[in-house]
Amino acid sequence: MKPSYIISFLLLVLLQVVLFNHLHLFGAINPMLYLLFFVFYRFESDQTLLIAFSFLLGFSIDFLSQTGGAHTIATLTTGFLRPLLIRNAFGITVETPQSFFSDSRILNKVFFLILLVFVHHLLYFILAYFSWESLILILKNTFLTLIFSLLLMGVTLSFYPGKK
Amino acid sequence: MQRILNALLQFKNTVLYLFLLLLSLLFIYNQSPFHGFSLEKYGFYFSSKLFSTSKNISAYFNLKDVNKKLTEENEQLKNFELKEKDVLLYPEALSQKKRFPFRVVKAHVIKNSFQNQRNFLILDVGEKDGIQPEMGVISANGILGIVHSVSENYANVISILHQDLKVNVRTTSSPAFGSLLWSGQSTTEFHIEDVVSNAKIAIGDTVITGGMSSYFPLGIPLGKITQLEKNEGSGYYAIDLSLFSDPSQVYNAYVIENKDFNELQSLLKKLPQ
Repeated sequence: MKPSYIISFLLLVLLQVVLFNHLHLFGAINPMLYLLFFVFYRFESDQTLLIAFSFLLGFSIDFLSQTGGAHTIATLTTGFLRPLLIRNAFGITVETPQSFFSDSRILNKVFFLILLVFVHHLLYFILAYFSWESLILILKNTFLTLIFSLLLMGVTLSFYPGKK
Repeated sequence: MQRILNALLQFKNTVLYLFLLLLSLLFIYNQSPFHGFSLEKYGFYFSSKLFSTSKNISAYFNLKDVNKKLTEENEQLKNFELKEKDVLLYPEALSQKKRFPFRVVKAHVIKNSFQNQRNFLILDVGEKDGIQPEMGVISANGILGIVHSVSENYANVISILHQDLKVNVRTTSSPAFGSLLWSGQSTTEFHIEDVVSNAKIAIGDTVITGGMSSYFPLGIPLGKITQLEKNEGSGYYAIDLSLFSDPSQVYNAYVIENKDFNELQSLLKKLPQ
């Protein structure tokens, strides 16, 4: 286990709780930067540890921002499904990249990010509203937040120095 | 044991995921009253589904008991109904305290014939239940016949589908009475004889028992008049009647006991023949 995981974990939780959860863009949109953890966590690293990490990640954010438990379940499930998303985004036939940064295919990377954020946001808003009557609201919020989360993640990643 | 451990290790990610998911569900359940309520709603939905299914199954096995109870209730209601009809036709009777000498005993038809010209029924009640010969037998919506003979547990009934059986009837609108007689063809087609032609009767009138015989109380509905012909020569109507219920398709029956039957018979014997 690399110490960089713990540092990025703490940093992302802090940023999310202190800054991004109070952004309220256009009234209600809070982009979720902490999903970058699933990008930083190397693809070749232990999956079991990732599940534990994602649970802790979601739980910390839920705990620190006094939200029910929607972050926990959405993040945990996204962490659990990440290998599936990687296979979908980068293909099975080609050798799976070791980490997000070791791959040079922009389109696949973007697709991976979209998949990741979409799965997480959809789950999150389903759990947050928790009623089928507000399905339209769930979908609307999912797509709007998805756009801003992706933008924010893209900007943050562009600052990131090349290969790790 | 080793195998179980191996399997657990093989699916350790899934197991861990499910375990943590359960934990977060508990968390969400305790943290947010809204989610707790929603989850309880789903839980309630499933448990109620389960409960109603098991209830349906047990209800199916209780149907026999339920049927029994219902026929017992019907027996009581029939008692009331017969009394009530008597009062409706003679409203002035309400003011007087009137005797109602009839008693109803429920029974089931266990054998029924309708293909002959002289048909019989067998009921599952007998001497043991207080059944005597010459008691009337009715169904929920009409009459079935008259008890002919009884054994200890069974009763033999002359069906209304019998060429020689005549039952005293009248219509609800007119007190003129006649005799109901089976036409011998369809099980619901009957004739009425001996109604004087000056009686006010129309097609569609409801025919009820006349109460002039000691077998049936007044007012049991039988059927509707379908054809009416005034025979000027004889001075009687020729009436065709269609029964409300088919006497060949009856399972629940009620035997009517007239407590004054013997009294009436002994009185009749005193008349000069």
